[in-house]
Amino acid sequence: MLEFIFPNNVMCHAVEAMLFASLGCALLSVLITQMNISSIGFTMSHAAFAGGSVGAFFGYAVLPSAVLVSILTAFLMGPLSDRTRMHTDTTLGVLFGTTMAIAIFFIALMQGTGKGFDASSLLYGNVISLYREEIYALVIISLLIVIFLSVFYKEITAIVFHKRLAEIAGIRVKPVYYGILFLISVMVALSIPIVGGLLLYVWLVTPAAIAYQFCNTMRNMFIMAPVVAVIMSIFGALIGVQYSLPVGPLTAVLFSGMFVIAVAVSPKRKVVIHKH
Amino acid sequence: MTSGKDHIIRLSEVWTTYEGADLPVIRDVNLQIKPGEFVVIGGPNGAGKTTLLETIAGLLPVVNGTVHVCGLDVVKDGCCARKNIGYVIQNFDFHPYTPFTVEEVVLMGRFGKIGWLKRHTSRDLEKVASAISQLGLTSMQKNQIGKLSGGQQQKVLIAQNLAKEPEILLLDEPFSNLDMITREEVCNLLCKVADAGIPVLIVSHAFDALPDRDIRVVVMQHGEITQNQLSHPSKVEELVRSASVAA
Repeated sequence: MLEFIFPNNVMCHAVEAMLFASLGCALLSVLITQMNISSIGFTMSHAAFAGGSVGAFFGYAVLPSAVLVSILTAFLMGPLSDRTRMHTDTTLGVLFGTTMAIAIFFIALMQGTGKGFDASSLLYGNVISLYREEIYALVIISLLIVIFLSVFYKEITAIVFHKRLAEIAGIRVKPVYYGILFLISVMVALSIPIVGGLLLYVWLVTPAAIAYQFCNTMRNMFIMAPVVAVIMSIFGALIGVQYSLPVGPLTAVLFSGMFVIAVAVSPKRKVVIHKH
Repeated sequence: MTSGKDHIIRLSEVWTTYEGADLPVIRDVNLQIKPGEFVVIGGPNGAGKTTLLETIAGLLPVVNGTVHVCGLDVVKDGCCARKNIGYVIQNFDFHPYTPFTVEEVVLMGRFGKIGWLKRHTSRDLEKVASAISQLGLTSMQKNQIGKLSGGQQQKVLIAQNLAKEPEILLLDEPFSNLDMITREEVCNLLCKVADAGIPVLIVSHAFDALPDRDIRVVVMQHGEITQNQLSHPSKVEELVRSASVAA
């Protein structure tokens, strides 16, 4: 897609992957931070880990299995948090433990039978070893997120502000809420091969955390978070590939540095004293 | 005697419960409210007052009986009915930095009416501006709601429900965070709402700011209505107290 800008094939792949992963993740990060469901990041990462280990045990490819299980978990998440009448974060905690247990169980079985399982691609990701189809999938999910946010913007903002008040306003909360959880889960599943399950948390939280230091409205956060994330991610990809550094960890560190700077210069900490 | 069609709110033999509760919270409640009535719901803590409002708003599962608001069955389609129901909740806790302005929050009240896949129009914005002005919030409409005081936040929620142009208005302890002067202002505003034919139902323990007009007093005790009669505002407190003690 971006070969006309980056003739180097490896560089082009890395930039494309980081561009679309950061765009989708940053948009969702605004919802994740405002809805206090940041644990969805590591829950989905571990669902992917479980999927990968189960797939490897039964002789299937690791990454497709990981993505498949993540998507299945995504379908479960909304209805499960409703049925259990608990905070979504609590349900995510239960799912996290369950998927982790499944992963460890099958890895232990494989060790017992002498089979090997390389979990590093799921844990750390690898931005330059992606297939073109994986990048297309990222483009599609990012577009879906943009369309979903545009079409249901008013319902989403009302739900993020206060679910009960949204319900009272006459909004059908459940389908929109499930839609949000589903998109987050699919985005996480597709981003894991790029930055890895361990670092993905940075993409799902930090862009919104940076934007929050400067924005007083959701609309501004939805603009600033992806702009910051895309710039940082492309910068990280360019530097990483150019100097043969690991792209994911490098970009994660850049994000953290930017967050520290944002907090330091944030106008939200300004104290105005009028002396008469 | 009036026919059922004269009543904008009709509850018939209603039993409401919460999931996991041992007993129904509301038991065999019958209540009919006409357009423009000003209703005060009183009774001790835990009597079922808030549950009654939530039942009328279609927010709770009704295990028996029927609830109709403006001719719509709220048990079957609460979401559709709530587009015409204003409900100011009692407990709200907004984060100080929640990224929503007063104006945005008031506009949210109209989202259900605007409907799916549609954007707000200039008429919606007019209604929002009018509601904000009525509650005296114009100077702070661009402020973040979390930065306002509890009383100001309560006024924002009242404005949100007025902007909605409801056909009935339910308020749960609307005076609890308000100072004396603001209580009177809000009460006068609610009177105007009732004068426009919209029934106003208030759960309250503050009887000192009631308007000078006939008030229907509904007293609840142990999930049942023990008193339901028209009264003068000066008699409301006594009526609620005596009905609660007698029960």
